[in-house]
Amino acid sequence: MTLQLGEKHFSSAQPESTVRRIVTFKVGDRTFGIDVGMVREIKGWQTTTPLPHAAPHVRGVLNLRGVILAVYDLRTSIGLGQTEATATHVIVVVDIEDKVAGLLVDSVSDIVDVPVSAVRPAPDLERDEHGLIEGLVLLDTDIVALLDLGAVIRDGGVDPATMAKTARAN
Amino acid sequence: MDPLAELKQTFFQECEELLGALELKLQALDEGSTDSEDVNAAFRAIHSIKGGAGAFGCTELVSFAHVFEASLDHLRSGRVALEDAPFALFLRCSDAVADLVSAARNDEPARPRPDLLAALEQVGQAPKPAAAPVPAAAPAPPAAPAPAAAASDAPPGIAALGNLLAMVEAKTAAPAEKADAGWDDEPAAPKAAPVAAAPAKAGHDICLKIRPESDLFRRVIEPRVVLGSLPVDDIVSVTCDLSQVPSLETLDVSDCYMRFTVMLRTELSVEEIYSRFDFTLAAEEFEIETVAANAANDDAPAPAVAPPAATAASPEVSANVAADLSAIPARLGPATDAAPQPDIAPKPVAVAPAPVPVAAAPVEAAPAARMPARAPANDAAAARQRQAVSVRVDLDRIDKLMNLVGEIVITQSMLVECVRSLPYDIYAKTAEGILTLSRQTRELQDHVMAVRAQPVKAVFQRMPRLVRELAQTLGKEVRLVLEGENTEVDKTIIEELADPLTHMIRNSMDHGLETPDERIAAGKPPEGVIKLVAEHRAGRIVISVTDDGRGIGRDRLLAKARSRGLVGQDEKLAPEEIDQLIFAAGLSTAEVISDVSGRGVGMDVVRRNVESLGGRISVDSEPGRGCKFTLALPLTLAVLEGMVIRCGDDRYVIPIASVIETQHLASTPIEHLTFGQEVLRWRGEVTPLHRLGAVMGSTGTRNENIIIIAETERGDNVGIAVDEIVGQQQVVVKSLEGNYGTVNGASAATILGDGLVALILDVDSMLRLAASSGRSPVPALKMAG
Repeated sequence: MTLQLGEKHFSSAQPESTVRRIVTFKVGDRTFGIDVGMVREIKGWQTTTPLPHAAPHVRGVLNLRGVILAVYDLRTSIGLGQTEATATHVIVVVDIEDKVAGLLVDSVSDIVDVPVSAVRPAPDLERDEHGLIEGLVLLDTDIVALLDLGAVIRDGGVDPATMAKTARAN
Repeated sequence: MDPLAELKQTFFQECEELLGALELKLQALDEGSTDSEDVNAAFRAIHSIKGGAGAFGCTELVSFAHVFEASLDHLRSGRVALEDAPFALFLRCSDAVADLVSAARNDEPARPRPDLLAALEQVGQAPKPAAAPVPAAAPAPPAAPAPAAAASDAPPGIAALGNLLAMVEAKTAAPAEKADAGWDDEPAAPKAAPVAAAPAKAGHDICLKIRPESDLFRRVIEPRVVLGSLPVDDIVSVTCDLSQVPSLETLDVSDCYMRFTVMLRTELSVEEIYSRFDFTLAAEEFEIETVAANAANDDAPAPAVAPPAATAASPEVSANVAADLSAIPARLGPATDAAPQPDIAPKPVAVAPAPVPVAAAPVEAAPAARMPARAPANDAAAARQRQAVSVRVDLDRIDKLMNLVGEIVITQSMLVECVRSLPYDIYAKTAEGILTLSRQTRELQDHVMAVRAQPVKAVFQRMPRLVRELAQTLGKEVRLVLEGENTEVDKTIIEELADPLTHMIRNSMDHGLETPDERIAAGKPPEGVIKLVAEHRAGRIVISVTDDGRGIGRDRLLAKARSRGLVGQDEKLAPEEIDQLIFAAGLSTAEVISDVSGRGVGMDVVRRNVESLGGRISVDSEPGRGCKFTLALPLTLAVLEGMVIRCGDDRYVIPIASVIETQHLASTPIEHLTFGQEVLRWRGEVTPLHRLGAVMGSTGTRNENIIIIAETERGDNVGIAVDEIVGQQQVVVKSLEGNYGTVNGASAATILGDGLVALILDVDSMLRLAASSGRSPVPALKMAG
């Protein structure tokens, strides 16, 4: 199951400077978002090949029509342990810097337009020491954390000590 | 990129090829080739460079190339005998042209080479100084003022250009002179004088016939530009001959069918007009006649009119060649029947008789005889034909094609896997089809690879110059022998070959070969020989650099290695092991660090470069006799033959090239050393054993009862324990760096038949990984060996 997204489907009626179009997805009960322009496609979970001695949040590599890309487990990145991936899990394929990467999440929720003015800077959270969150958006019911994808991919994942702490906090 | 810049880029690319060809031909001639094709090819190369350079306004390049071309023309015409020709000078000139090209390419100021230009001008003048002290000026009086005028206000190159233009003009401008003037250094035939004198008079009438080749437009030249180069006020009339325009059905709009006749009343001399066209039109495409001379020439217009026929048959033959052709049989006399172009040859012969007795000086007969008249025309035609059947393709497109073939290989192995689960009756039928498909896929792959393949000539060509320059710097006498230049290898490999080869040759020149005195003292000929050989062997390309120098100085190398702590003070090494130290980092045995080498980075870098390409390098040395470096590289980086293995839940591919043997663990006694290091006895040697699952962190349960004996790049053996050997297949190499980064233990990845990714193991990197994850890095090996 592959859903192709492209600018042509969502050509913005409003000037881009005032509105950000955001894809939101869930990991557990948390909602995250990234700009729609970064998303190349969304596909169902597919078995990855693990890489030796890679950072914990690197799930491995997979073949996307002949291109090999790495899949990062967002759940691990935010300190919730590894995703037990099933067919219902989703890989968001994103363009980040000059690379293509996959982001393993639980599900994709929506595409929303958010006024730029509604994006708040991320509060100086003690636990977000990796700077994964670029900003916050309040929707009706959810708080959407906008991800800094570069940081997600660069980040070596959360080390076990922090993970344990986070687990306790939860 | 704007179109002009793109064209310019193409021109520079072509220049490189042309320079390569030029150098190769000159080299061949220098080594005693008497093949006139070589002369012609060299001439054509420099002529093409000049033409292109003119179009892009590279004036320095044009003027140098022009002089160079003119002196090569002396050889071509036989005015200078091949054995007398200064090929060393020509080779230096071809280097200079290469410098000019790269200067033009980088928009840098070009270094003027007055010394070479002066030397070039001497070519063709030297042989008979007594008979004709100022040969260029001798045949036609007006030729003298031209160079003089040019010399007064121009650099030496331009002066030489003027001088040569005068000669060329003398040859081509006035038809009657063709057969005699400009050929040799003999005084002109009497009737040439009034003809040639005409241009000197002010306001003379000139009839200009322009017969562009049909590819004029494709050379990005249009008649407007050609005619625009004439002073407007001087043009009396322009007539356009449209008789060549074909009927509409066969008309190709990109062809030029127009012929122009321009009447001029001008003060410009013929050579000035000539020079205005020199960059837009080939010599055979136009003809300048002074009208006054026409009357005198009416009985002998043949050579001038002949070219259309000649151009139709072999478009690249210049008017000069036509004249050459005509003159050669004339000189050889009736005995020869070598002229294959009766439509060209007989006509000039009719004109020629008068000068022949004078021209056929004994000196000239020899070179003329050596150059079969057939060659220039046929060679040119053949060259044009070759051009017609080859196309320039963007490498990107071929890469895409290659990728697609890779996809097909994957899809096909996927099919193979699907078919296995089919019931037997369907399976049998399908399997047959799949078998055919796989054969075709492999064939397709071979063909695409062949498209990407290039002869190693592209790299080898750069080496003679390197050797020449180094020989000069080092004061050594060296002959470079190239073999197997046509061995083909993937383009990606070709690009990576240049650096290692340069290093290897530098190394041989600097360390290997002795100075002439030392060589004589050692009872060897003063001239050293370096052989550069390429050949295909066992699916790899093997390139060797052999020198007949002093060989590796083992004592010094070992002492150096000891002082650097690379080898223990009392460690004993076999002679071959000492030789291998030459690849160790930071070792140089040269007493004096020179510009050439001696910093100890060379061979170390070579080894790393080669290994990063999946190749290996070795050295054989015989003290006093020489040294041989052998480089083995895969033919392509895109596909490799691999063994698919399984360990736990994960599959890996190990390149077949690394695998020596596989065996069951049960048949091999394992012994445990300290720190969990296991070794096994294999062929009487102690070989370290690594468990792949542990090293690569494979998931799932493992039994590891298969051992693969693999070879490291250093030539050591290592055992790798895995669960299962799944099969052997061609795999398409996919980069991991592109979207991820370097993966320790793996060189790349591939996609298996089920669409999943498998890592391609890199044995050396895997061993490093094993060493870094707390295991002892094979300490027992050396003692055991």
